[in-house]
Amino acid sequence: MKMIEQFRNFRWIALLFMAIAVVSCSDDDEAPEEEDELEVITDVTLIFTNTSDASDVVRASAEDPDGLGAQSLVVLDAITLSLDTEYTLTFDILNALDEDDIEDIGEEIEDEDDEHQFFFSFTEDAFADPSGDGNIDTASDPINYGDEDDNGNPLGLSTTWTTGSDALAGGNFTVRLKHQPDIKTSTTGAEDGETDFNLSFVLNIQ
Amino acid sequence: MMLVCYHFFGFAQNQPCNYSVSGNVLNADTEEPIPDAVVKVSGTEKQTTTDENGNFKIDGLCSKKNTLIISCIGYADSTRDHEHDSEIHFYLTQEVTSLKEVTIEAQRTKEKGTETISQVTIGKAEIASNPTQSLASALSGLEGVTFSSTGANVQLPIIHGLYGNRILILNNGLKHGFQNWGTDHAPEIDVASANNITVVKGAAGVRYGPEALGGAIIVEPSPLLLNNPFYAALGTGYQTNGRGYNANLEVGQGTENWSYFANGSYARSGDRKAPDYYLTNSGKEEKALSFGVLRHLNQWDFKINYSFIDQNLALLRSSIANSPDSFIRAINSDEPVFINPFSYDINQPNQTTQHHLAKAEVNWWYAENARLTFIGGIQLNKRDEFDVRRNADIPIIDLDLLTYDYQLEWKHPKWHGLDGLLGLQYFSQNNDNNPGTQTTPFIPNYNTDRFSAFVVESLDFGKNTMEAGIRFDFETNDVRGRETNQDIFRDNYSFTNFTGTLGYVRQLSENSTFRTNLGTAWRTPNMEELFSFGQHGFKTTFGLLRFQDNDGQLSTSEVIPLDESDVDPERGYKFINEFMTRKNGNTHHLTVYSHYIENYIYDRPIGVFGTIRGPMPAFIFDQVDALFFGADYNWEKEWTNSLSGTFGLSFLWSGNIGDNDPLINQPPISTNFELQLNQGKVWWFDSSRWSIRPSYTFRQFQAPRTVTPESLVDGSVTLTTDSEIFDFADAPDGYFLLDLSWSFSWKNLHGNITAQNLLNTGYRDYLNEMRYFADDLGRNLIFTLNYNFKSRNNNE
Repeated sequence: MKMIEQFRNFRWIALLFMAIAVVSCSDDDEAPEEEDELEVITDVTLIFTNTSDASDVVRASAEDPDGLGAQSLVVLDAITLSLDTEYTLTFDILNALDEDDIEDIGEEIEDEDDEHQFFFSFTEDAFADPSGDGNIDTASDPINYGDEDDNGNPLGLSTTWTTGSDALAGGNFTVRLKHQPDIKTSTTGAEDGETDFNLSFVLNIQ
Repeated sequence: MMLVCYHFFGFAQNQPCNYSVSGNVLNADTEEPIPDAVVKVSGTEKQTTTDENGNFKIDGLCSKKNTLIISCIGYADSTRDHEHDSEIHFYLTQEVTSLKEVTIEAQRTKEKGTETISQVTIGKAEIASNPTQSLASALSGLEGVTFSSTGANVQLPIIHGLYGNRILILNNGLKHGFQNWGTDHAPEIDVASANNITVVKGAAGVRYGPEALGGAIIVEPSPLLLNNPFYAALGTGYQTNGRGYNANLEVGQGTENWSYFANGSYARSGDRKAPDYYLTNSGKEEKALSFGVLRHLNQWDFKINYSFIDQNLALLRSSIANSPDSFIRAINSDEPVFINPFSYDINQPNQTTQHHLAKAEVNWWYAENARLTFIGGIQLNKRDEFDVRRNADIPIIDLDLLTYDYQLEWKHPKWHGLDGLLGLQYFSQNNDNNPGTQTTPFIPNYNTDRFSAFVVESLDFGKNTMEAGIRFDFETNDVRGRETNQDIFRDNYSFTNFTGTLGYVRQLSENSTFRTNLGTAWRTPNMEELFSFGQHGFKTTFGLLRFQDNDGQLSTSEVIPLDESDVDPERGYKFINEFMTRKNGNTHHLTVYSHYIENYIYDRPIGVFGTIRGPMPAFIFDQVDALFFGADYNWEKEWTNSLSGTFGLSFLWSGNIGDNDPLINQPPISTNFELQLNQGKVWWFDSSRWSIRPSYTFRQFQAPRTVTPESLVDGSVTLTTDSEIFDFADAPDGYFLLDLSWSFSWKNLHGNITAQNLLNTGYRDYLNEMRYFADDLGRNLIFTLNYNFKSRNNNE
């Protein structure tokens, strides 16, 4: 009699086991939801616009079509500017991993202007203004920033460049975008924070 | 009827061949005497049984030191044996008349299926001396056990060179269901609430399942003893390094048919300090609670357990490098790139985890020495990881992992001398990415279902025990992920496998034991090894199915289905031998093992590849045939009753024998010595114990060659996927550490003061991923105080 009771007891547990096993077998098969990839930059275009002739535009691009994949970065163009001309430099910064949903990272940077700054370096005295070789090596070196963040520090989505009367062939122009969350000040430089991109172009002035 | 044997080692002092030993066997919890226990002096014919008051006396002994074997037949209840009489139920009190000092060591009853495998257990007292340490660090004092870490908070145990999901962590009888991949995910287990932790050093896959290829770690909570008067244990602690503080409380009680325990703990630490600087962003905060209830009815036991832990772990700020210049700078700098003043704040990078575990267990002792056990468990692991990035407050990894676990076990009655266990297991995991991370998932969504059956049998003949086991597993996986262009990829694959174990224990003499075990094991590659793609921390990693090797060039353009790839499951063959001998105050343990793993999967640097940020360091998962060969040696010496020492040495040789290359991130040779002085009663303390522990860890002489990131970035070195394995930095130099500790008790108070790295040595640990960026921890003084209250009588 006692044995029978215990057997009932056991049967009840076995039943419970099977019930839970069945419940947990019901798998879902959903894929992760689509994400807007905000970290990756695949395409950067430098746009030099002649300040006295808006139709005179020089573009130079670099692209890394697979982002974090193993495919290499390609610098597509050289920068070829005219002598004795003032240009405004602006950028197209995109994430085009998903061709159907291209992200404008430039807007992101503008939204978080107090965390970002562009730095530049170029062949010594390539420009009449700014002079020198840029502010990647020394942050206080002259660059003509045309914008500033909420704290009054330079940003660099817009900068001004004036070429002189000396021609240049096969020079260098490097632009580096730094991400400096919580650390950006008026004195932070190109070594502080994290690099969002760092691109070197051939610079010709003729 | 179950026979429980406990080995106690007692030392008596008197005239030659006129020694006597006497004592009292008590229930350690109720302090009630245990009558009719058989006390035998090992190596002699002398034996006796305890009287009504638990007392015994044995005269005419010729040796000053004796091993006592105490056998208690069906102690807890002669008609219903069950496992409540674990070793802590018994202890020996000495009669001062003829016995100066008694040292008690209890041997834990080994789990079925692992009896022939070398294993070690650490108990509550050891755990309580530093309750805030990680599981891995608590075990790292044991020979052959080290840990791999990502900074001070994330530590994974390594057994004989293997870690991660080659080591099964059995938490409260359930395989701990967590994101067990990478070196930056440690098991979320509150060490303070553990009652004991056992390390099984051999392939224990037959008993526990595929992940026990390299060994198993068994964490057990309070055993829920019956007839156990109300107790409360309150612990507090402070440590200087990180200005960490903690508190924990456990209460419990067992009546004739009920038992319960409940505990909770809290720990917090700020930034830790290397000898010369603060390790900015290395604090942690941890909250844990658990409870268990046992109902005992005749031959039935019903048990439920629940545990919860919430962790927020900071990772070193200076370890984040998302551009080549910052990575080169971080690696070459003597000091970390970010050093801020001390703070308790936890910023990015960090990880937050909540882990829930609920378990129900039913045991039915339906006949003598026979038992049916059913265990059902559910675990929910929620993990968020935060990186330094443009949207730092949004997790970059946001995963929910749900694990179901059902086990039915039958311990059959003795049958033709065979003692064994048969089991059926069903294990299921469901991993889901929560949307909103604004990055392509690093780990896909997946469902894993595994059905298993096993049998382990042991046979005693004379002084020998044979043990054999076999296991069958069938596993299916259904995987859904996203490529970086947000296209969906899917994969389905399944494996069927048999594994086996064969072991033998021989009692060579009264003082010597030899055990040997040959185990096979297998393991399916985990999701990170197969599907990871992207940047996490300073690493960009490509899983086995995310890249193709086209004549030495890496292509990551498509995800390869597993069935079309050449990826195979890992298969391991571990042969482990242990020899133990105890004579004249000397105890020697020697463990020698060899472990061959076919298709061993590991990640290694592969080079740099171009991104818009510049050339970035990349890692791939690779599959090779690996051999591990090593030995652990341990020598305990007792000079006097109060002075003893332990010397330990661990050696491991490992290599990729398919290509005759070294592996990477393997434990270097290490050696340590611990000198203990047990003062007994001194001043007003009831006990006082000192220990000093010098240790030396050698430089890893088997590290791969070094190729600096700058030489790859400037193009002076070019690599293909066929190039010899390398690392970005040299293996750090060997280092000497000195630890000092004092523990005492006074009435119900137990205290401990430990100085770790007393000399404040600056060093880097080869197995710490942060070795690229910063020194390890400097001096740390740990103060703990535990108050144990135990009610005298059992009012039920």
